[in-house]
Amino acid sequence: MTVVDVEAVFEIAEAVFAAMIDGDHGLLVVRDDQAPVDDPVVAWVDICGPYPGRTAVTTSTATASALVRALLDVGADAGVTDDDRTDAFGEIANVVGGNIKALLPEQGSLGLPRVATAVPPTVDPLVLTLRLAWRGEPLDISVWLTQHEGGAR
Amino acid sequence: MIRVLVVDDSRVMRQIVIRTLRQAGYDWEVTEAGNGVEAMAAITADEPDVVLSDWNMPEMSGMELLTTMRANGFATPFGFVTSEGSPQMREQAEAAGALFLIAKPFTPEAFREVIEPVLA
Repeated sequence: MTVVDVEAVFEIAEAVFAAMIDGDHGLLVVRDDQAPVDDPVVAWVDICGPYPGRTAVTTSTATASALVRALLDVGADAGVTDDDRTDAFGEIANVVGGNIKALLPEQGSLGLPRVATAVPPTVDPLVLTLRLAWRGEPLDISVWLTQHEGGAR
Repeated sequence: MIRVLVVDDSRVMRQIVIRTLRQAGYDWEVTEAGNGVEAMAAITADEPDVVLSDWNMPEMSGMELLTTMRANGFATPFGFVTSEGSPQMREQAEAAGALFLIAKPFTPEAFREVIEPVLA
């Protein structure tokens, strides 16, 4: 099963950012470097069911705050609370993860979004990491997925 | 004026839904709830004209809210606004009595496409 590949995930991410955050395409692009994100914050959702897995979005804390401001359509000097960042960044992972789940041959259920400074271990194998730049700042999307039937949890 | 109840555990997403409703031209009176339990209490206290609800929420999901509403005699027009827009989810939503399912990410046009037929 190869329905979840980098092209499909990029298409989803581009649609999410264009519709929810930027109002247009072109501000989220694939980046060349493989460097890890500094001062990371990670938002993820787990998929349970016949094809269990996880989708995680990682960026710097500063970029996550910028995403919140863009989502809320407020100015660059607007304050962002930890609650706002957890809520909004988690919702971005939720929407990306929900759309990735829709690619799967059978639908399980989606967990609630979680946000932390690192993603906890999972038994499902990492199938891809898409290294992106949003408005020039690093942002990674990783997908773990057990791609065989009988993987239900 | 039409009164809408927007249900989502994300405060930010509730704001985005409300903003998108306005961008779509619906200057409705809005109340908010953070999950199905809060929504059911709000509906029981003062039934709105329409409910727009997330699917996946703590305490009580959007689907549980819809089935609880129907079991308690509330036929309020109901639509999902959710990140899960697969054909299977749409079938489940329709079978439970939802009028439409708007998949996130959405646009004002997506709102108009499903809401206009309901208003007509």
